[in-house]
Amino acid sequence: MIQVEALTKYYGNIQGIQNISFQVNKGEILGFLGPNGAGKSTTMRILTGYMPPTSGKAFVGGFDVSEKPLEAQKCIGYLPENNPLYPEMTVKAYLDFVASMKGMRGVNKNLDIDRVVGGCGLGSVVSRIIGHLSKGFRQRVGLAQALINDPPVLILDEPTSGLDPAQIIEIRELIRSLKGNHTIILSTHILPEVNAICDRVVIIHQGRVKEEGSIDDLTAQIQGGEVIRVSAIGALDLLEKSLAGVPRVRSVKVQDTSANGEVRFEVLSDEGEDVRPDLALAVTSAGGRLTELVQERIPLEKIFVDIVGADHWSEKEGVDA
Amino acid sequence: MRNIWLISKRELASFFFSPIAYVILAAWSVILGFFYSGSFVNYSLISMQLMRNPRAAAQYNLTPTSAILGPVFSSISVVLLFIIPLLTMRLFSEEKKQGTMELLLTFPLRDGEILIGKYLAALMMYLIMIAGTFVYPLILSVFVSVEWGVVGAGYLGIFLMGSAFLSVGLFCSSLTSNQIVAAVIAFMVLLGSFILDFVAVSASPAIATLLRHISIGIHLRSFIQGIIDTRDVIFLVNVNILCLFLAMRSLEYYRWRG
Repeated sequence: MIQVEALTKYYGNIQGIQNISFQVNKGEILGFLGPNGAGKSTTMRILTGYMPPTSGKAFVGGFDVSEKPLEAQKCIGYLPENNPLYPEMTVKAYLDFVASMKGMRGVNKNLDIDRVVGGCGLGSVVSRIIGHLSKGFRQRVGLAQALINDPPVLILDEPTSGLDPAQIIEIRELIRSLKGNHTIILSTHILPEVNAICDRVVIIHQGRVKEEGSIDDLTAQIQGGEVIRVSAIGALDLLEKSLAGVPRVRSVKVQDTSANGEVRFEVLSDEGEDVRPDLALAVTSAGGRLTELVQERIPLEKIFVDIVGADHWSEKEGVDA
Repeated sequence: MRNIWLISKRELASFFFSPIAYVILAAWSVILGFFYSGSFVNYSLISMQLMRNPRAAAQYNLTPTSAILGPVFSSISVVLLFIIPLLTMRLFSEEKKQGTMELLLTFPLRDGEILIGKYLAALMMYLIMIAGTFVYPLILSVFVSVEWGVVGAGYLGIFLMGSAFLSVGLFCSSLTSNQIVAAVIAFMVLLGSFILDFVAVSASPAIATLLRHISIGIHLRSFIQGIIDTRDVIFLVNVNILCLFLAMRSLEYYRWRG
């Protein structure tokens, strides 16, 4: 549905993005991750036909966005990073304008406006002036604008920025409900959001694609094994020895001991078979009483930092585009 | 066509949603009312004095239509220098500042449709302003028999000159995201082209002729006298075409730069 081939964009001498390629299949939600200034918005702006790339090609719905921009733009609903609202208009008039610009008219247009107003929870503010709305409502108006005319491709640049936690969950649910019928690219730097909605992620950094794949793939790749947290009450050295003796366990680390005699270990094992039953057995055989046994997932934050590099945060921010 | 109309409609509506349209219309009516009444009073004073001196009167051409409305048309062209930049400054600058430019440029629209839509909206606003001044010849017609042909030529001139000013302002607005800067550039360009005429006085003959030809204010003169000179019409229409072309390029540049 969306295909990006070797996309490069220079702003004068400053490099925006370099040789970016990826594709998004129909019905998929792609998370677009990267620190500020990595080139997320630049890529999205090229996809929407807002600006032409310096080189490379982008296809949306089978249309080359440089060659046939109007056809490609007809398939796209776009929410830019800076919410594009006319503050002097009412919500209704604004959505009406957007719907008309997207070629809708008459009864269809009104039905579709009602649909997005309902979907984005704008019912109570429909006749108010956008300039008087709170940030959360404005963000929802922006999203409603992107959803009008039910475009098959949605490109959302930080759709949940500026919302409170309850609203974030609502918007996430809304985006998730669009899955299947819509192909969605979503940029964000809120990592739990990616975990919650995206099928696949593309991580870009300094204008290049660093990593691409499903979240599970990325996790496995970085981890190179399974991490299991074991807590038990018993003698430390006995427990440690016993745990280390379990087959396929690579290392056992003591994390801390608490006053009531509970010891916590971090066990690293080979990938593949579940070693948890064996670990439980090992604890009991060492005379310990098991209190906790959890297989840990490496959080996306860690993946992100590993890929982007922890030193990144001290770097100066690039062109935020 | 439909897209152009939709852009124009929204643009025109936003003139009236914000105070701009009302402030401009109010200032416009007050200033021109002042000029018109001045011109009217002046004319009646001169004609009363000349009634006592018929021999001197023969030397003057005191047809009321051109003697009263002529100065009004001339002063309109000066007032436009100040008002048009205020009218056009927001056309693109505000969209850029608000980020709505990104919305417009990602709609399935051609750049030309956006440009023409905005130009027509400004032109409609301008027509509303001109329509208001039509009370002056109407008032005049109560007292004298108005030469409607001369009035028509004057209005054609004012319309063409205003549209040329608008296209200059539109182009200037497409250059920047700052409305004040857009207005100042437009004002400087218009004022500059207006005073080329005065500069011509001290220039060598060949250059003087050129300067007079490209001085925008001069092209109104024959319209005011009731003459529709194709040279003037073509000049003013060409200013429109040139500025719209430049604005189109400027939009393309804006896209490339991102």
